[in-house]
Amino acid sequence: MNLEKFTYDNRLSKMFMFATILWGVVGMLVGLTAAFELIFPTMSGGISWLSFGRLRPLHTNAAIFAFVGNGIFTAIYYSTPRLLKTPMYSKLLGNIHFWGWQLIIVAAALTLPLGLTQSKEYAELIWPIDLAVVVVWVVFGINLIWTILNRRIKHIYVSIWFYIATWVTVAVLYIVNNLQIPTSLLHSYPIYAGIQDALVQWWYGHNAVAFFLTTPVLGMMYYFIPKVSNRPVYSYKLSIIHFWALIFLYIWAGPHHLLYSSLPDWAQALGVVFSIMLIAPSWGGMINGLLTLRGAWDKVREDPVLKMFVVAVTAYGMSTFEGPMLSLKSVNALSHFTDWTIAHVHIGTLGWNAMMTFGMIYWLAPKLFKTKIYSVKLANVHFWVATLGMLFFSIPLYFAGFTQSLMWKEFTTDGLLTYPDFLETVTQIMPMYYLRAFGGTLYFIGTLLFVYNIIKTVKSGSFLATEEDEAPASFKSHENEGWHRKLEGRPVQFTIAALVVILIGGLIEIVPMYLVKSNVKTISSVQPYSPLEVEGRDIYIREGCYLCHSQMIRPFRSEVARYGEYSKSGESVYDHPFLFGSKRTGPDLAREGVNDGVVNSYRKPNSWHFNHLVDPQKMNTASIMPQYPYLAENALDVSILESKISTLRRVGVPYPEGYEDSALADLAAQAKKIGDDLRSSGINVDDEAEIIALIAYLQRLGTDLYKDK
Amino acid sequence: MATDNIKNQNEDYELDTLTNERLIKDHDYDGIRELDNDLPPWWKWLFYISIAFAIVYLVRLFVFNADDLVQKAEYKAEMEGFEKSQPEKVAEANFEVVLLTDDASLANGMATWTKICAACHLVDGGGLVGPNMADNFWIHGNKVEDLYNIATQGVLEKGMLPYKDQLSNKERLEVVSYILVKLHGTTPATPKAPQGTEY
Repeated sequence: MNLEKFTYDNRLSKMFMFATILWGVVGMLVGLTAAFELIFPTMSGGISWLSFGRLRPLHTNAAIFAFVGNGIFTAIYYSTPRLLKTPMYSKLLGNIHFWGWQLIIVAAALTLPLGLTQSKEYAELIWPIDLAVVVVWVVFGINLIWTILNRRIKHIYVSIWFYIATWVTVAVLYIVNNLQIPTSLLHSYPIYAGIQDALVQWWYGHNAVAFFLTTPVLGMMYYFIPKVSNRPVYSYKLSIIHFWALIFLYIWAGPHHLLYSSLPDWAQALGVVFSIMLIAPSWGGMINGLLTLRGAWDKVREDPVLKMFVVAVTAYGMSTFEGPMLSLKSVNALSHFTDWTIAHVHIGTLGWNAMMTFGMIYWLAPKLFKTKIYSVKLANVHFWVATLGMLFFSIPLYFAGFTQSLMWKEFTTDGLLTYPDFLETVTQIMPMYYLRAFGGTLYFIGTLLFVYNIIKTVKSGSFLATEEDEAPASFKSHENEGWHRKLEGRPVQFTIAALVVILIGGLIEIVPMYLVKSNVKTISSVQPYSPLEVEGRDIYIREGCYLCHSQMIRPFRSEVARYGEYSKSGESVYDHPFLFGSKRTGPDLAREGVNDGVVNSYRKPNSWHFNHLVDPQKMNTASIMPQYPYLAENALDVSILESKISTLRRVGVPYPEGYEDSALADLAAQAKKIGDDLRSSGINVDDEAEIIALIAYLQRLGTDLYKDK
Repeated sequence: MATDNIKNQNEDYELDTLTNERLIKDHDYDGIRELDNDLPPWWKWLFYISIAFAIVYLVRLFVFNADDLVQKAEYKAEMEGFEKSQPEKVAEANFEVVLLTDDASLANGMATWTKICAACHLVDGGGLVGPNMADNFWIHGNKVEDLYNIATQGVLEKGMLPYKDQLSNKERLEVVSYILVKLHGTTPATPKAPQGTEY
């Protein structure tokens, strides 16, 4: 046989590995800070870029795209050439990918704390960074696909299937969810509004979990578990079935983030049933990972790498069972908007993603540096500290979640809410927040041990920049291959097939939301926001208010009694972007401006809002909201107001032609009214202050429905 | 397991030494081999059942419009169920607002006062954000019906919240009775300056 020699270049794997470690520490530290801010709300000291609403997106983006992202690139750049017996196609593209990705992360770390955000969860990055992401993703894709085309192994292995699915799906998701029109260099409005925007966002958001935190990590699992344990994969057939089922079904599940919202019943139902059907395909991955270790359990007992893989895959199995359960409407009615969700996602990230990544690096670092791990004992300590940290993080939050939810729903025998004061339900779960911060601290300490161990390992060895390998120059021809085996030999067709499979669900859910009028019922009294309210809304977005306050009253007696009439899809038709929120650390604000004289919700005076925003603890000593003194000091930036109005008109908000010209005057007039009112209550404030715009927006919330009455 | 799957005795195959299961020929990726195991039956059943669940669920919604899957119907049922279970609520209109003086009612009133009202009026009624409740000056009248109405409807422009949805009519009557019987006429530690008309 004619054997060809070639070399693998380990440089990019090494660079991605170091980036993973660095951003892992950063991402977890920011998360830990946010966890402490919830128990020490004045910790941010009124400093804008330190407040919870600014740090939370930084934490999620750093954890997902910087830590796990670099981790999967490490795995891809290491495993792909070895699985295909060819070097990566281009070092230049690899370098552009690496440095481009790190620059994007740095840009995110600078912009998010400054409040430059699109507000859509895990899609917060502003449009110029979005463009950079697309460019880098295309560069990565070319490099990956060309490497596959250059292969010396005819069939592509299951890891590669997952890498391909990741690449095509993330490309589709990212572009569709980020379609927007810029108003300026740093700001834009999405082309979608309200419930349609929400559907697109959660189609994206759920599949960021599926195709960024799951499929590439499964690819990682399929390479590193057999490799480290030196055991064959349990079942090739299972790989095929669970791969295609997983990518086909996952894409449909997004609407389960919008259960009991104003999303139409049919879309909610699709979200429910596709989530339930995901249990088996997800568990297919877990089974194939765990059963591959049969015969190697004695190694698992000793090797911290395999131990971490086992915990990771188990956590994967747990969260992919819990996820579908949370998608049942009856469970979701209880879990949604509570810390239950936070607990759930951290089983996924701290357990599945991080443990896979730690395990991989404990194995890979000694390989790349021709040495042994500095301390197996320390790695074992890390394993236990991290596992305990994860439990201390999640279990209290599960308790917090259902405790608070039950309190929200409890009625007295007189038919009144038992805990009408939202704050009571927060105070009740504070001990759980303390425990969570403790768990997070433990987990972080474990990560520091990991960093120390890896630094020592790297220092004790010398970098193996290239590795020689050889393989036959041409494929053997196989006859009588099954249809799937044939497909594995045709990566372009494979990629197209994956693309078609993932497009089906998205198209069937999203297209009718636009074409069928009855999905969003028009409400004639719903009008566009005034210019001042537009600016106030953008401040609400900048400060990340939506991260702790929902604007979606679900059709439950307990919510209608607490917040007022439940939210209708027709009410958010001018909401670019939608701001339904996904968590209620504070109360829902969908009817904040309403005084209908019927339900519990009452319109708070402007002065209350002013005092509360500047110093929430003055109004309620137990409040855990950050202070926003700077909103009363900073002057409102109206420099792009005209552009905002014309951009909103372009995306469908019916401002009259030429309204830009009088928008500023309208803004000033409305601001003066609120300013006058505040001054009459003895509050000294400029009409130009940002806080005036935010108050205008808050007082507008939910009121349109009552205009005719 | 796949080991009973040997049909062609002439076909060359390898067995995994630890599990004695059949390895798939020519599946070797950087040293990673794959076993020819079938899907675990329980896994298949799990998948089938979840698909059956999905079909039943969708048929119930799209064909039968099941009340528990149509959001509006579900909400209506919940609210109607509540109305039926609340016959005493209908009696609100006939509720008699008369000053209560029995110890039990005043004790209940005091509990409500301490828990809710004291935040703005102080425990001893001296007043803070809200007015002094111990002196002879009243902004909205001094009769039990006057106070009851304020507790019920609130005075929103001044920050007094309506409590009709937080406290039952009995609780509201108890607390205003507590004000008139127990707090009124006492000497608070830090009394707020009089507001309103002297009665």
